[in-house]
Amino acid sequence: MRARGVDPAQPGAGALVRLFHVSKSYLAGSWALRDVSVELEKGEFVFLTGPSGAGKTTLMRLIFAAERPSEGQIIVLGRNVGRLGPSGIPALRRRIGVVFQDFKLLPRRTVEENVALALEVLGTPRRQVRGKVFGMLKRVGLQHRRFHHPLSLSGGEQQRLAIARALVNEPEILLADEPTGNLDAELTLEIMDLLVGAATRGTAVFVATHDAVLIERYGKRTVRLEDGRITEDIPGARGLP
Amino acid sequence: MRRLATRLQYFLRTALQGLRASPMTSVIAVATIGVTLLLVGAFVLLVSNMERLLDRFGEDILVSAYLEAGLSDQEQRALVDRVAGAPGVESVRLVSEEEAIQRFREGSAGQASLLEGLDENPLPASLEITLTPESRSSQGLAILVAALEGLGGIDELGYGTEWVEGYARAMALIRAIGIGIGAVLALATLLIVSNTIRLAVYARREEIEILRLVGAGRGFVSIPFLVEGFIQGSLGGIFAVVLLYGFFRTLLPGLEGGLELLLGFAKPVFIGAEGMLALIVAGAALGTLGSGLALFEGSER
Repeated sequence: MRARGVDPAQPGAGALVRLFHVSKSYLAGSWALRDVSVELEKGEFVFLTGPSGAGKTTLMRLIFAAERPSEGQIIVLGRNVGRLGPSGIPALRRRIGVVFQDFKLLPRRTVEENVALALEVLGTPRRQVRGKVFGMLKRVGLQHRRFHHPLSLSGGEQQRLAIARALVNEPEILLADEPTGNLDAELTLEIMDLLVGAATRGTAVFVATHDAVLIERYGKRTVRLEDGRITEDIPGARGLP
Repeated sequence: MRRLATRLQYFLRTALQGLRASPMTSVIAVATIGVTLLLVGAFVLLVSNMERLLDRFGEDILVSAYLEAGLSDQEQRALVDRVAGAPGVESVRLVSEEEAIQRFREGSAGQASLLEGLDENPLPASLEITLTPESRSSQGLAILVAALEGLGGIDELGYGTEWVEGYARAMALIRAIGIGIGAVLALATLLIVSNTIRLAVYARREEIEILRLVGAGRGFVSIPFLVEGFIQGSLGGIFAVVLLYGFFRTLLPGLEGGLELLLGFAKPVFIGAEGMLALIVAGAALGTLGSGLALFEGSER
């Protein structure tokens, strides 16, 4: 059994994300996160659950440096996020795939161009971009829609597009905020298989959801947040998919 | 190298995409830059033509040096050479006694009686001296007069100080007004253009935010916008040149009568190739700078 708490004296060997007594406050006196310590290892798949407003989104935003912690330290891919400079933040984000709850797709670019963006920021040559994008769109079942614009897609299709963009550059960390919220049961399983598959290939995957059925079905490690505090950190049941 | 080519391709493609994606905003930006530069261009056209006119007047500034009587041809020619070497002299022309009386006769037709009863030519030979453009001021004139007064063989000097002072003042005034209004126009243009582009950038702040979230660095986000500004600005500059030329060609014939009265025989001239190029370059610079300002403002986070 792995030790779950974070001991600063004995950092986890393969930890890609380490939060150490992190607190975040947007307004003086009210805490979005309070004294959170958690770590995420290479190839690990973790559900982040809890009621709305518990701090799931804030926790994810802290990891990809969209927010700075009010207290505590965050080490992501060996870098102290709180101390990253203006060029350090984009460099870090290029190694993290994020599926936003509101997708954050570029409405004026096609499906293909939206996915290509994640590779273009890396400076990937155009020919390689085309091949990788097509392969990725095929995996999420959107290859026939590649010349459409996001606004002409259904909610589920937009969600799959957001996942395709987050996964196309094979990130070391994947953060997904309610990635199956708009999908029917069948699509949910397909998408979950994609996310679990990414973890199998070594990506540390963090999925925020309040779908208890999903959590139970996959039996992965589950961190529960309530009122900004971690109330439970249940290890995954071995042997389940 | 290949990475750079990929990047450049991306920047150009994205900039063109941006222009295509919001055609109305692009047209408004190009038109705004075009019209403001048209004002600047019209103003430059006016000032340059006024300067040309004053230059022509300046050529009429003459200093007449009346020679002492009894100088030999050789002495007169030697004097011409010495005067030509004096400070601020552009040209020297010798007007002989015979030419002087000939001119007098022509200039006073009907009053030929004035010369009747004279046994000999009362008019002296003289030198007509024109000044270099830099010396067409009262100081330039004073220096030349002092130099001429030191030369032997000159009896008297004739020059219009007031005329020269008036000319110099007019020239200085035109330049000062030119620089003043030009600076105000340039500043107004920059503000209008940067504001127009700022609105365009503001309309796309969500796109900028998304680019940042997927790990795009500052250059990756801003360069397409700068390229867009550059393209819009260049098109605006070309638009301004075309409009200015159109107005110059269509409006001028109607005004020709009045202008001839005002400008004399100086026919108005269009801004030269450098002028047109300068307007286009100014447009490109304004467009790029305007985008830069707008982005800088939006990137404080």
